Amino acid sequence: MTILDVTNLCAGYENGYVITDISFFLEQGEFISILGQNGSGKSTLIKALQGLLKNVSGRIEVEGEDLFSLNPRQIAKKIAYVPQISGLTFEFSVTEIIHMGRYAHQGRWGGTSAVDSGIIDEVMDLTQTAHLKEKKIAHLSGGERQRVMIARALAQDTPLLFLDEPSSHLDIHYQVEIYQILKRLQEEKGKTILTTEHNINLAVPYSHQLMFLKQGRIYGSGPPQKMITKDHIKDVFEADVEIRENPHSRLPEISLIPKPGRQS
Amino acid sequence: MRPNSKRRILLSGLLFLFVLGFLLSLLEGPVETDLKDLFGFVFQGQGDENLKIILIDLRLSRALLAFLVGASLSLSGAILQGYFQNPMAGPFVVGVSSGASFGAVLCIYLGWNISFLGLSLQSLFAFASGFGIVFLVYLLSQRKGVFKVETLLLTGIAAGALASALTSFLIFFKSESYEQAVFWLLGSFQLADWKHITAVLPYFLVCFVVAQWLAKDMNLLVQGDETAQALGCPVSRMRKTFLVLSTLLAASSVSVCGIIGFIGLVVPHWVRILIGPDHRHLFFFSSLTGGVFLVYSDLLARTFLFPTELPIGIITAAVGAPFFIYLLSQRR
Repeated sequence: MTILDVTNLCAGYENGYVITDISFFLEQGEFISILGQNGSGKSTLIKALQGLLKNVSGRIEVEGEDLFSLNPRQIAKKIAYVPQISGLTFEFSVTEIIHMGRYAHQGRWGGTSAVDSGIIDEVMDLTQTAHLKEKKIAHLSGGERQRVMIARALAQDTPLLFLDEPSSHLDIHYQVEIYQILKRLQEEKGKTILTTEHNINLAVPYSHQLMFLKQGRIYGSGPPQKMITKDHIKDVFEADVEIRENPHSRLPEISLIPKPGRQS
Repeated sequence: MRPNSKRRILLSGLLFLFVLGFLLSLLEGPVETDLKDLFGFVFQGQGDENLKIILIDLRLSRALLAFLVGASLSLSGAILQGYFQNPMAGPFVVGVSSGASFGAVLCIYLGWNISFLGLSLQSLFAFASGFGIVFLVYLLSQRKGVFKVETLLLTGIAAGALASALTSFLIFFKSESYEQAVFWLLGSFQLADWKHITAVLPYFLVCFVVAQWLAKDMNLLVQGDETAQALGCPVSRMRKTFLVLSTLLAASSVSVCGIIGFIGLVVPHWVRILIGPDHRHLFFFSSLTGGVFLVYSDLLARTFLFPTELPIGIITAAVGAPFFIYLLSQRR
């Protein structure tokens, strides 16, 4: 079943489009990673896909409905978003932050219902954040904070989950941990997951599809085995790499070829 | 301690201070009155017409006005701090108060003393010019959806200084009274009466109910606009509403008692330290704390140099300005 269908999407800010002519679709339960250089339009794309940008044209269908005809509350019941950075001005506690994920399902006066509490307990379990409940968000480590942000997105109880560079600023240990959580969500809960990612080797083993962006356009997309080639990486990232097979996953993996220094 | 019990303790403390503050306000004044007079008047209807005027029309109205203005300014500050995602904002710092004061003075000196159903032209002027200032500050301090603290504070202070200068000019140009200038620039409740209360109370009640209704949305807004919208908040509509609320609150206060600085900055801070940043509670407790704080500040203003009255803005600035400097030094 097609859950997200994007046709000729162009989007950007006040001074013009950053991404142009983006068309692709996602099946329910798919895991897609968007890769590309800095400034290639990854973040712009992930924002445009959930109606956060005003300067847009083209068409986006979510579960068969026109995204641009939905209000923020309706969109928030279909798509949950884990942004790259989030406000830390005020010292909210972890439980307060996670409760915010239920906003779209609640009335303005209403408090937390039994359904809300059930879902919140479940997502804290999934993300292993229950023990952090009373802590202030600013006092957490990068990995813990990212898990809390994922918990809040999960509390939205949506079929689609978007994450903007979920592994940035995290140690290797936490990078793997976050992706393990995502994989579990996709496999057990049937979530459709879309991430942007810098680290190609991290995206490969978890993604069904990779999409390469170059200067705001789709360079190509497909399964990792097809996308990870020496020429593609050279074209998209302007980097010389060697491709080899990861002995554990049997999937392609890149290694950088160091350029000889000036002295040698 | 659980957040719930923290709030309960704070509420009891504030209610106690509230009652005590009103009691002291009723007893304190140039004409000596004691508890016996007060209780005799309240419970047995003893005392003459003079006592009634002193207790009800002079002292009670004054304490009540101080409470309402304190509550309005603090709620305005709590909203602005959320709005700008910055704990250093406030109606005075952002320049709304000075702008509103200019509008009120301008209206007085144009001689347009019209009021209709409790809605005076003076508060309308105060609102318009207060709104003008905050909008200017908003435009200048926003860069690509992000508020730069430095620009926010500097434009707010500059715009406020300009508005104050214009106010002073108007006063010295057209009036012979030095007290007028002090009133508008430093605030006072000396002229308080029931008419003023009817000019502030409706604005406060409406704004308070709306703010409380939208408190969850404010919790989302302070997470950043994109996050808020992704969670389902209609961001641009909320932003407009909150800006109008905070300006209405500040302007209605300023139009009856002049500029009382810093209270809107410090009170939400104290409350946040005590019960956390959740706006569903922050709005209520900021209003209550601000009201109580201003009742005591006014008591101090009346008694500190008795029989001379201090402008109340001196007291709130004496408490607020050092706190503001402390906050600046805490920034990394």
